[in-house]
Amino acid sequence: MALEDIPLLGCGRHIDQLWATLHQPPTTHEQQCEQCKMARTSLQRLSEATRSLREQDLNDPALKPRPGITNAIMDVARAEIRRSKRIILGSTEEGTTEISEQALSALIRLAATAIPGVHSRRCHIEVRSSDPSPAGEDPRSRGTADAGPHLIINLRVAAAAGIDIPRTVQTLRQEISSAIPAGAGIRAEIINITVEDLYDV
Amino acid sequence: MNDHSLEPDLDEGSVVARAQDGDLSAFEHLVNTYQGRLFRLAYRMLKDRGDAEDIVQETLTISWRRLPMLTDVNAFGGWIYRLATNKCLDLLRKRSSHAADITDPEDIHAASETESLRPPAGIDPAHEAEWSAEQEGLTAVLDTLPPMQRACWLLREMHDRSYTEIGATLKMSPTAVRGTLARARHHIAEGMSQWR
Repeated sequence: MALEDIPLLGCGRHIDQLWATLHQPPTTHEQQCEQCKMARTSLQRLSEATRSLREQDLNDPALKPRPGITNAIMDVARAEIRRSKRIILGSTEEGTTEISEQALSALIRLAATAIPGVHSRRCHIEVRSSDPSPAGEDPRSRGTADAGPHLIINLRVAAAAGIDIPRTVQTLRQEISSAIPAGAGIRAEIINITVEDLYDV
Repeated sequence: MNDHSLEPDLDEGSVVARAQDGDLSAFEHLVNTYQGRLFRLAYRMLKDRGDAEDIVQETLTISWRRLPMLTDVNAFGGWIYRLATNKCLDLLRKRSSHAADITDPEDIHAASETESLRPPAGIDPAHEAEWSAEQEGLTAVLDTLPPMQRACWLLREMHDRSYTEIGATLKMSPTAVRGTLARARHHIAEGMSQWR
């Protein structure tokens, strides 16, 4: 389909051209051409009816789905919730301790809300157990300072346009770095932050 | 921690990204943002409340399942409109092939019995007065347009979607969208001048 498919008036003008300049004063041709005058009048009428239909539909209480729709959709979403992976925090003879990536992400996002100018987005967390023991070394003989898992957090964020990104991201990193031990008793070793988008304020 | 509320000024891309990570409150925010828009589109396409509600419910449920596959979070709006529009077009195709099969007079009566939002004459004078003749003419002519033209016109004029996005939805070039839209406006304007 090309421009020649756009309806033409007998005078050779495209309907499209008339529509584009509908809110401007008519050209000399449009003032004199009967077809253009008629077309302008009917398009102006359409433009006005379109505007008022849009307004009417937006505000018409009858043009909303029944209230139960949200619940029906959310029930399915809850039933099919995406289980995030679990991060093993420790393993002893009495059993393992795990935390879901989602729970930790929520903690991280909550911490991020304290920093103006950044919106947290997707968050992936990996865990690095204590460094693998060099061959022959008994892991029990190593100090306890480094014991426990080390988290590697990969957080994507959107930043407000115009902010000082390096400084804001560093503040965010510090906030997360203290929120994780405070909220879950785990140490975050590496916090990678990617600014993937800028949003207008 | 899924029940935490979202920051009030959160940009949509961030809401979508969180929903991709399985955050239910972020997804609920998207449901609340889009269900009314999708309903208005589906109702004007299908002229049937029940069918329009089914489209809204199916579209948003599918969006939850397919969200992780969406590569550009800022494309969510276009993507959800595309899903809903194509569902409407599919249903209209099914209806027209079904209508061709109808022979029983009772079925014909049932098929023509679609709900209308237009207030019946004399029922509610206040509402009736608000419903201008121009709008009535517009919606009546709109219903006579071929489905693709109607979808094109609704997406552009009622929902402000871009030519590129409408083109992706209706599988046509932005130039073809421009042509389809011009023909739709031409038909509606002509139809309205013959209305009454």
